[in-house]
Amino acid sequence: MENKKQLSILVLDDEPIVSKRLKPSLEKKGYSVETFTDSMTALQRVRERQFDIVITDLKMEGVDGMEFLTEVKKLWPDTEVIVITGFATMDTAKESFQKGIFDFLAKPFKLGEITEVIKRAEEKIRNR
Amino acid sequence: MINRIIDWAKGAISSRGKRKCSFPFINTFARFSEILVLNNKVLELIAEANDKLGGEYIFDRHYIETFCEEACDMVEKLIFALNEMAPGKYPALHDTFNKIRFDIEDILAGRQPRSEDRLVIPYSNINRDMTQEVGGKNAAIAQVGNFMGIRIPEGFAVTAAAFDMFMKENGLCQRIKEIAREWEQEKIDAVTASERIKPLIFAQRIPSRLKSAIEKAVSRLLKKKKGENIFFAVRSSAWGEDSEHSFAGQFSSILNVPPPGVTEAYRRVIASAYSPSALEYRRRIGYHEDEVVMPVACQVMIDAAKSGVLYTFDPVDPTTEVMLANATWGLGAPVVSGTTMVDEYRMERKFPHLVVESRISTKLKKLVLSKEGGTVIQDVPPRRQLAACLNKSELVELAETGLVIEKNFHKPQDIEFSFDRGGRLVILQTRQLAVKSLDAPTASELSGIRDKYPVIVDGCGTTAQEGIAAGPVHIVKDDRDLKDFPAGAILVTKFASPRFAAVLHRAAAIITEVGSITGHLATVAREYRVPAVFNCENVISLLEEGQEITVDAEEPAIFDGIVRELQYYALAEEPIEETYEYRLLRRVLKKIEPLNLVDPTEKNFSPEACETLHDIVRFVHEKSVQTIVDSGYYHPHDSGTAAGKLKLGVPIDLVVIDIGGGLDSLAQTGRKAVILPEQIMSVPMKALIAGIMHPGAWSNEPMAVDMGSFMSSLTRTFATEITSPQQLGQNLAVVSREYANISLRLGYHFTMIDAYVSENMNDNYAYFRFFGGVTDLDRRARRARFIGAVLSHYDFRVDIQGDLVVARIKKLEEEAMLERIYLLGLLVGVTRQLDVQMVNEKRITEYTEKIKQLMEDGHGKQKAT
Repeated sequence: MENKKQLSILVLDDEPIVSKRLKPSLEKKGYSVETFTDSMTALQRVRERQFDIVITDLKMEGVDGMEFLTEVKKLWPDTEVIVITGFATMDTAKESFQKGIFDFLAKPFKLGEITEVIKRAEEKIRNR
Repeated sequence: MINRIIDWAKGAISSRGKRKCSFPFINTFARFSEILVLNNKVLELIAEANDKLGGEYIFDRHYIETFCEEACDMVEKLIFALNEMAPGKYPALHDTFNKIRFDIEDILAGRQPRSEDRLVIPYSNINRDMTQEVGGKNAAIAQVGNFMGIRIPEGFAVTAAAFDMFMKENGLCQRIKEIAREWEQEKIDAVTASERIKPLIFAQRIPSRLKSAIEKAVSRLLKKKKGENIFFAVRSSAWGEDSEHSFAGQFSSILNVPPPGVTEAYRRVIASAYSPSALEYRRRIGYHEDEVVMPVACQVMIDAAKSGVLYTFDPVDPTTEVMLANATWGLGAPVVSGTTMVDEYRMERKFPHLVVESRISTKLKKLVLSKEGGTVIQDVPPRRQLAACLNKSELVELAETGLVIEKNFHKPQDIEFSFDRGGRLVILQTRQLAVKSLDAPTASELSGIRDKYPVIVDGCGTTAQEGIAAGPVHIVKDDRDLKDFPAGAILVTKFASPRFAAVLHRAAAIITEVGSITGHLATVAREYRVPAVFNCENVISLLEEGQEITVDAEEPAIFDGIVRELQYYALAEEPIEETYEYRLLRRVLKKIEPLNLVDPTEKNFSPEACETLHDIVRFVHEKSVQTIVDSGYYHPHDSGTAAGKLKLGVPIDLVVIDIGGGLDSLAQTGRKAVILPEQIMSVPMKALIAGIMHPGAWSNEPMAVDMGSFMSSLTRTFATEITSPQQLGQNLAVVSREYANISLRLGYHFTMIDAYVSENMNDNYAYFRFFGGVTDLDRRARRARFIGAVLSHYDFRVDIQGDLVVARIKKLEEEAMLERIYLLGLLVGVTRQLDVQMVNEKRITEYTEKIKQLMEDGHGKQKAT
């Protein structure tokens, strides 16, 4: 990790436990992490700056996850988006992949599973 | 798949000339098959939910709600299916189910389950998840006593429901609210408000149900103490009291109360919720008056020789890595209130807890118990005034105990303790210690630790319980060798033997080379919150006895030396087990998971006795087997089926019901009918019986010696003279030519096999489920691991969750399928008394090898085909 730039991750999920659980674990692995439970605030934040990786839930109050990730990809095509959702269907998965997301995880998932996905996304980013 | 078999069987029966068709049995069997499928699904669902508590999963409230909904839904379907099999026979099952479901709904909605509005709860029945019900102080101290093996005073909690009852009586609540509102609007001052509220409380009649509940709890303790002269400490355990707002000293503690005075003391403690200082304090920290809920602690008074307070960190400068203790002679109240001179000690946090500083003061007075109740101040005899209260070994014991508590709560602790006249350490209270400057390390500090500290193991092993721990390595070669296990050490060993559960509360962490994260030890590690890493290959050879290491179970990683950054990180984080979602899942699981109904011969094996969804599942399964045996064997109305008892060389009391082509058409059937093995035409059943009868499976060397205990384990299945087999839970096989469904209860474990074998390999499958047993958990867990190991070796897909083993295999050629079913028969033979044999870990490997040997000696294939 010595000379590598620290990667930035934004986590958006309206269930606070997801951020609470992911933030410390990802920070421990060397990522800089910002977390949001409100999609409006998260949207404002991604308009301000680019994140290397965005992790988002799909079903939320206010701005819905699908809209959010569409906006992210429009603003920053290079940002890798990982979708996490407790309401996984083939259709939502398909739609998200069409929008160019990196991967799709159904909740509940293991910490190790999402770390694995993030690592793959990181590799892709570093190999650019 | 089962539906297809039923359709087929219907056809087969109707085309059979000799036995004319009618449908009732086949319909009953269809319901029975549904029950089996649902039964398996529910058990797997519950086991999966239990796994979520290990710390590895990220799950949210939505998951918990979905899980409860699914579980309730399936159980309701089970009840309907049983009702269709045996119409109107178990009407109470519905009521029981609804009661449990309402409780679950209450828990999900954040309410106290209505079936549980207990007024008084003994400490032995309290755990950390009951904070709402009993208050923080009670929940924490009971957790220390019940889960850490540490001495606490005996006692009971008077609950939030009791407070509610007291306050609602005669509209007291409303009148207090009005006065409080005046105060909140600053129409009156705190002293006036308090002066008006308190008399209301003192004039209040204590509701008779509450009074008698408290008196009963007191007399239960008196009885337990057999005439010993016991007194009580009655203290508040209000909501929020020991949380981030410490409320320290705001509420009354009444010491040394004689038994008849406890109810009155309870009232005084309640009244202290409305003291001027408590009112002011609540206003300052933004607590509303309607947030006042005061559960109360009633503890047996400890006759203390000396008492004090331990801080597991120096709150001013935590980086000094020392613990702080204050102590004085007699009771501890003067230490807490700061009204007396006390001794001060500092010990190192790390083992062996060297005492780095002792400041002995002149202790002129001490507070002691008065014989008639209450306390008195006495002079300290001159020779003891300047003597140290605590000696070295007491300080070390205190330090070790403090760290165990800190580890369990994942936070620095502020602990009140006494040494009684017998020299025994008793913990009176523990709460989180506010350590302001214990800053969490930054992300870059954390990501840099791999450069700073040598990494011994990285990413190897599986996390059984996450968490971070540091300490000296203690390698244990033999799981019986645990007598001198040093507190705070990291247990490193070969197998995750359940025997280690006995020292887990003393261990800082546990690392094993082999182990299942769904095994018993993992469950206990979760209960004690001891970081645990299993399957860490060759770890023993990488570590030395006494070497200081730091384990981060989440990664998992092992570092050489003590990694302070990680330690502080662990203490700064909110423990994941304390998050709302974990608590919620634990609470609903209590209504779902435990199995109380085991023995169908016991009187309370009834719908009314079901306390959890699992109990209902068990009840339905047992009764469905009974119904099918009854309608297919004892009282057959259906000439389309044939049934009889299988005569085998081994004692397996098995009724076989044929639904088409499973028995030789010449076989006798009916109530007294005996079926010989050669009359079985069912292809999978034949293979299974061959396996059961395999030489060496049912009677081989070490087991032959043990035949007596084996027979005794089976007596419940065979005591036909005493009870009719119908009531016992009959062993049952439902067969057709290509299909067999076998439900067995041998001793106390349940085996279910469902298999279909034909020439068309795409249809072929076998399902095996093994579960239960009431022998000690160690052996049960080993037996489950043994079964898992064997079945995986023979290509089954195996899931072990708790004591449930589920194995599946499908789409093999007929011959290969039959070989696997033969293996299942062999396992049925070998496992029935195996828990008796599973005395140590080595037995798992021994028996696995033995089964392989038995399979490879050629019998497997010959017999099966």
